[in-house]
Amino acid sequence: MQAQTNFLFVLDNVYRVVHDTYMKNAFGSYVREKREALRQKDKSYSLRQVAERIGIEPSYLSKVERGFPAPLSEGKIRALSDELEENPDIMLALSGKVSSDVLDIIRKRPELFADLIRQMKEMPDNAVLRLVREVRDGDW
Amino acid sequence: MIELKNKKLVFTFPEIHPRAKLTISFKKTLRIPDDGNTYPLPPGLGTFPLVHVDDHEKTVPDEWLKHGGVMLPMHQSEAMWINFDSDFIEEHDTEYPFAVKIATGKINAVTGGEWSEGLERRPQNYLVAPKQPWLDGYHVSRDSIRQFVAMPLGDGYTAEGQITGREEFGGLQIQVYPMKREAFEKRWPKVDMAGISYSVDEAEIMYCRKSPDMGLAPGGLMRQKIYADEFDLSEWEREVSSRCFVHLANSGQWKTITGKLPPENPPTARDYSEHGLPWFEYYSDDKPLPGSRVLNGLKSVFETGKSKRQNPLPENESADPKRLLILQKRQNPNQVREWRE
Repeated sequence: MQAQTNFLFVLDNVYRVVHDTYMKNAFGSYVREKREALRQKDKSYSLRQVAERIGIEPSYLSKVERGFPAPLSEGKIRALSDELEENPDIMLALSGKVSSDVLDIIRKRPELFADLIRQMKEMPDNAVLRLVREVRDGDW
Repeated sequence: MIELKNKKLVFTFPEIHPRAKLTISFKKTLRIPDDGNTYPLPPGLGTFPLVHVDDHEKTVPDEWLKHGGVMLPMHQSEAMWINFDSDFIEEHDTEYPFAVKIATGKINAVTGGEWSEGLERRPQNYLVAPKQPWLDGYHVSRDSIRQFVAMPLGDGYTAEGQITGREEFGGLQIQVYPMKREAFEKRWPKVDMAGISYSVDEAEIMYCRKSPDMGLAPGGLMRQKIYADEFDLSEWEREVSSRCFVHLANSGQWKTITGKLPPENPPTARDYSEHGLPWFEYYSDDKPLPGSRVLNGLKSVFETGKSKRQNPLPENESADPKRLLILQKRQNPNQVREWRE
C-alpha cells in the first residue's frame, strides 16, 4: 500500500506538471529556466559547466534546452535533477518517461495498479494522500 | 495511527489533535566502552533502515508476523539510541507532548518492570517526549543510563534474560499516548500570530543460529537523565495509544530476509575520539527521575561475558572524549546530535 501511495502521489504530480507545461515545450524550457535561475546566483550553472558535471557535451544540452529531439537517458535526467535541485520524477515525466522503479512496481502487479489508478483518476489530492499504510500491530 | 516514513515511525493522533505527531527514529552510534567509566553522549551516525515485517513474510520467523510491526538490522554488540521528535506548533508556541513507554524484550527501560498496559506514576513507567529528546539505554541511576547494546537471544546477556530468566521476545516495544487536547490547549493557549514570523525548520532461514532475533542488553555507562513528568497523569489521553513492536534482526541474516545489505558497523569509540570528533552533553533544568534499582542491578555485557569466560565486546578499549559539544533544550533549532563524514 505504501508503494501504491507513493506511486499515486508521484503520478498525480506528474499529471499536473505535464499538463501545465506541455504547451511550453515542457522539458527543454523547464531545464533552461531552472538552470538560468541558478546561474543568476552561481556562475557554475553555465550551460557548459552543468553539461560537464552530468557527463554530456554542452552542445547536446543546448539542443535539449531548445527542444530539439535529443533524448536523455534516465540516469542523465536524474543527474540533471540533482544539479538543478528538482524532483527527478517530475523531470522524468516532463521528458515523457516514468521512473524505472515505478515501472517495476506496476509491472509486478499491472492489473491491480491499472485498476487502482483508473479508480482514483478523479480523486482530489487530499483523498489520494489519505491512502496511507499503517504499521500493523499484532499479538505480543 | 503509525506510519513508516523515511526510516522513521510516525505516530499521529488526528482524532485527538490535527498536529499531534511524534516521530521516532533509531540512530546508529558508537558503542561506548563498557569499562566502568561514565561517558558523554556519543554521536548519531545515521539512521537504521526500518521495514515492515509484513513485506518479508516468507523470510521472517512466524513469531515476528504474529507480533506485527517493523524490523531493523543490528550487528552483534552494536549500540543504538532512540530519537524523539515532534513538530513545533507555532500557534501554541510549543510541541505536542506525548507519554512514551519503551521496553526491550518487554522489560520497561525506565523502571525495569515487565511490560504492562497503561501509564503509571509510582514509579513513572514512561518518558515525556519530545521534552526527553532521546533515550540511549536503561535508566540505572538519576544521572546515567547503560547503553542499549544488541546481543543474540539465548545467551543470557539481555535485560529480558537477566530479569525474567527467559529470552523469548527480544526487540523493542514502544507505546505512545498523546496528551488530551483540552489539557494541551489549556496549558498552551493559542498565541496571537500577527506580526510573528517563524522559520520552519527526521526462521525459516538459518545458518549460525536458530533465529535471527536480537535483544538489547545493558552496555557501558553514559551521562543521561530521564526527566520526571511535570504534567498531571489525568492530562494524558490514556484511552488512546498506538504501539509498535520493533524486531531486531541479526545483521548477518538481514540480507537473507530483505535482499539488502545492512549498514556497516560504526567505528570504535577510541578511534572516533582519537580523530578529535565530537561527543555531546545535554543540559536541561528539568527534574530527573531516580534510576531503577532493578536495572541498576543488571550485569553489563562485559560483566556477563566475564562471568561466562567469553569476550562479547571486542574493541572495548577505554576512550578519551576530548571534544565535547553542548546541546541545550530549544537553544538552537538546528542543533543536532549527529556526526557524518
